[in-house]
Amino acid sequence: MEAGGIPTVVIGVKAFRNRLTAMHLPRTVITPHPMGRTLGAPGDHETQRKVIMAALELLKNASSPGTIVDLPGRYQFENF
Amino acid sequence: MENPKETFEEFKNSFNYGSRSDLNFKFLKNLSDEDASRFFQEILWKMGDVLNDGDFSRVVEHIYQTQAKAYAGAGKFMYEDSPFTQLRAPLSLLRLGLISSSGHFVDGNDPKPFGVENMSQKEAEARIDDFLKVEPQLSVIPMDTPEERLLVRHGGYDVRGSMADPNVNFPLSRLRELQKEGRIGELASDAYSFVGATSQLRLLNHTGPEWVKMFQEKQIDVLLLVPV
Repeated sequence: MEAGGIPTVVIGVKAFRNRLTAMHLPRTVITPHPMGRTLGAPGDHETQRKVIMAALELLKNASSPGTIVDLPGRYQFENF
Repeated sequence: MENPKETFEEFKNSFNYGSRSDLNFKFLKNLSDEDASRFFQEILWKMGDVLNDGDFSRVVEHIYQTQAKAYAGAGKFMYEDSPFTQLRAPLSLLRLGLISSSGHFVDGNDPKPFGVENMSQKEAEARIDDFLKVEPQLSVIPMDTPEERLLVRHGGYDVRGSMADPNVNFPLSRLRELQKEGRIGELASDAYSFVGATSQLRLLNHTGPEWVKMFQEKQIDVLLLVPV
């Protein structure tokens, strides 16, 4: 994608952090969520939104390939 | 029980596409017998605590930590560097696309893997080896598709979360909200999803480049990828 002129950002879960790091992707956002629920729990719109915002920020700010941002927090079901 | 002499190793492996197949816990096969037995013992211990205070978060955390341990290796695909393209304009002026390996598709537009119509999640799970041999089929999903028209099937992970709310790994609704707020200039007319459990080499060498060509033709400026 990048070689074809399209900047990309990958959102992946922390369980796969080592694998994602080994792939040396252009830009990666790592979430503290379980596999299959990458952006947050079902119904947790606020967290899902924050994850996308972090990905958009990384698109704006990353200046070299292999940039990784780890999002803090835990997988949670409350407060929504 | 089918096999009265089942060993502990066979028991823990049976969660990985075996007689007890459970995609949330298929990682047990990657653990040593010792780590797997500790996982079970601790989960029961924590369930005892849940009986007292009803707080399941410790169980969720325990599952998560063990899952992370099971997948801690670097995997098969290692690279030293990657191509990199800078944004050519602020996001508010660009057209953003989405591709996920979540296995979503629109009701009425079933990708029909192996020609099978309405394949169930259970059947997809049973045919995981077939999926891993072939190229992925890309489902084209109009960006304005209502959530209730999205279906999902994927033999590699438990899809119950993405059935309850597709935004957990295919965030159409969240993207539409952010676009309305002006944080994203424009959304591409379509988003894309495919079953990520697929032939990785064919994806890399053949399917992927074709997709890139299509994204270029669709004038997608920037792409959000969600691998599941």
